[in-house]
Amino acid sequence: MSKKAQSGMPYPIGKQVPHEELKSVIQRVLKEVPVEFGATSTDLDVVVQPDDLLRFVTGLKERKELAFDFLRNIAGVDFGEEGMALKYHFYSFKHGHALQVTVPLRAAGEPHPVVPSLTSLYPAANWHEREAHEMFGIDFEGHPNLKNLLLEEDLHIHPLLKAHPLQAAEILQGIESGPPGFTF
Amino acid sequence: MTTESPATPEIRPYKPDYGAEPERLRPVDFPASRVAYKVVLPGVIQTGADTILAISRKSSLWPMTFGLACCAIEMMGAFMANHDLDRFGIVPWASPRQSDVMIVSGTVTKKMAPAVKLLYEQMPAPKYVISMGACATNGGPYTEYDRVLQGVDKIIPVDIYVPGCPPRPEALLDGFLALQRKIMEEKKMVG
Amino acid sequence: MSIWPEEDTKVLAPGEAEFDTVDMTLNIGPAHPATHGVFRMVLTVDGEVVVGCEPYIGYLHRGLEKLSENNDYRQAMGYWDRTDYLAGMACEVAYCMAVEKLGGIEVPERAEYIRVIMTELSRLNSHFMFLGAFGQDVGSFGTTFTWAWRERERIYDLMEEVAGDRMFPTYIRPGGVSMDLPENFEPRCRWVLDQAKRALDEFDRLLTGNEVFVERTRDLSPISTEKAIQLGFTGPMLRATGLPWDLRKAEPYSIYPRLDFDIPVGKQGDVFDRYWVRLAEMWQSIRIIEQCLEQIPGGLVLNPDLPKTLRIDSGECYLRFEGTKGEYGVYGLARGGNKPYRMKLRSPSFCNLSGLQELVVGTYLADAIIILGSIDIVLGEVDK
Repeated sequence: MSKKAQSGMPYPIGKQVPHEELKSVIQRVLKEVPVEFGATSTDLDVVVQPDDLLRFVTGLKERKELAFDFLRNIAGVDFGEEGMALKYHFYSFKHGHALQVTVPLRAAGEPHPVVPSLTSLYPAANWHEREAHEMFGIDFEGHPNLKNLLLEEDLHIHPLLKAHPLQAAEILQGIESGPPGFTF
Repeated sequence: MTTESPATPEIRPYKPDYGAEPERLRPVDFPASRVAYKVVLPGVIQTGADTILAISRKSSLWPMTFGLACCAIEMMGAFMANHDLDRFGIVPWASPRQSDVMIVSGTVTKKMAPAVKLLYEQMPAPKYVISMGACATNGGPYTEYDRVLQGVDKIIPVDIYVPGCPPRPEALLDGFLALQRKIMEEKKMVG
Repeated sequence: MSIWPEEDTKVLAPGEAEFDTVDMTLNIGPAHPATHGVFRMVLTVDGEVVVGCEPYIGYLHRGLEKLSENNDYRQAMGYWDRTDYLAGMACEVAYCMAVEKLGGIEVPERAEYIRVIMTELSRLNSHFMFLGAFGQDVGSFGTTFTWAWRERERIYDLMEEVAGDRMFPTYIRPGGVSMDLPENFEPRCRWVLDQAKRALDEFDRLLTGNEVFVERTRDLSPISTEKAIQLGFTGPMLRATGLPWDLRKAEPYSIYPRLDFDIPVGKQGDVFDRYWVRLAEMWQSIRIIEQCLEQIPGGLVLNPDLPKTLRIDSGECYLRFEGTKGEYGVYGLARGGNKPYRMKLRSPSFCNLSGLQELVVGTYLADAIIILGSIDIVLGEVDK
């Protein structure tokens, strides 16, 4: 059984990079991209506009001080009339720091809001973007295969929008006028 | 006045008396069914053809394992060594063409529904369907999401419903025994 | 006539035939005994070699995220533990940790130890299922499956004694666990672990030392660490490539810093390494459970200050958890009220499966099936 010594790990273990340190590194290295900083309970949060996203993420990937080589997750959030947001989560194996990038978008509706796709930089983004497209109606420019992933191919619904209702159980089961076999 | 104590009545021990209750609670008289089989010689029985067909059908139910979700895990547990179903003649068989029972175990989504219908149509008669678990019965915990089919009986006819989320392997076994009783009951029906 | 080919026999590569060939489209459909669930892939095969693969998922899309938005924090857990249905308690722990992160809820120490024991038992459960199903795919039809289920039933019995139900007990609650362990838990747990150790030895002798198994799986679809990171692999898929990245050590949570365990790695990320990493991980899980049984303190098992209805005003977190298949990430957003505003599942099987095309193209058809088995997907997670 391979027994690697704790100190011989090729990444910093258990190192909690303080948010201030990562924030200062980003501000120093990527100073040309206008961003705002926030924080969640677990990560540092950076708010980037959709037009600057590709520049920012290319910088995150290619700069040695940041070296974010792992795209973990892309989550969409629908705030109703206030708009939508996309949350990207990155991790760097070299430095051991993690980051959340928030991209605010306009509210849902036709035509769909457009965001540049990250599949050219991170192939892992492929399926995440397809899922965000079908669940929220966000178009990813430059995605090789933007079809429905979890829903049927010919459906044009976006279930995770707040405007898409959950059907009442009685309607779905066909018993809206009471339990079956029971008449008032 | 004598110093004897007054004559005490003889005390009988307590014995409950229910009166006419045994008459009231006697079970209903059902006529003895016709004898199912007659032992002609040691090891040889004589019976009607429909009973033989029903017994042979129920003793060798080959389910087409249609494991969709979590109930499939309990279904596999029912086939495995701990709660062996093979001793009832139930052999899991992956192909629909040679199977008798379809166990729909797990949530049927609307994307999966055409496949369920196709597999049901591919099974040769006589065929039965056991809907295992709450999701296959009426949608289960996912009753409010419209991508989930609210029960597999919306697209195929179901014979036995086994409730649970997921039902224990013993519950699936109970479902099979209920299916066997149903097969014996409908032995006079053809097809 | 000699059985060996003549000197001037030309060996053709796939696609290089001297006569006209047409690639065949083969649909390995949603209902299939070897796809570990309702998963469909459409393979384009040239003879026996796979030249194209397109996976189709979504046949078990049950609306976990939408339904979580319409249910209480505690009610929504019922959907989350049905995602990885082979290891129900591990998903419950992940979800409850996310809710605790959002609301700043503390968990007593004894509850943390119980959670770790339950998570590692669930990991054993899931990996036994992998050994059983993978052995079945490779060819030992039924033997490994029955052995695996024998151990799984023992672990299920133990979980039933502790939590009340076999698969989805909703035993883990935000703020701790719902009930304390029974009094005879320690000897029962040690007995189950002894049986599991015996079973792991049997599996080891049957599979790792088996020439047929090794010939089939070694050097099959190797993948480098850089490619694996780019494709988003985590868990045993990434550890098989050689990078010892385990969230329990890299971004530790709960009481894992107090426990001593190793991280097994593979060499070249092929199918044999993935199998071997999972087998070795099971030994480490048993080691973790034994340490927890020794170190577990007394005390409460549920935070006593929790209100009857959990309301969280605001919070956002991305909680990563070492699930049985990789990084089980829960992104949670709370905006007041007793229902979460958005809970997203970053499921490891979804991300591991997205790299299927890279792994399968160029191999034989029979190998494509075992590569799919070695990714170890569970469709509840993939389809959310």
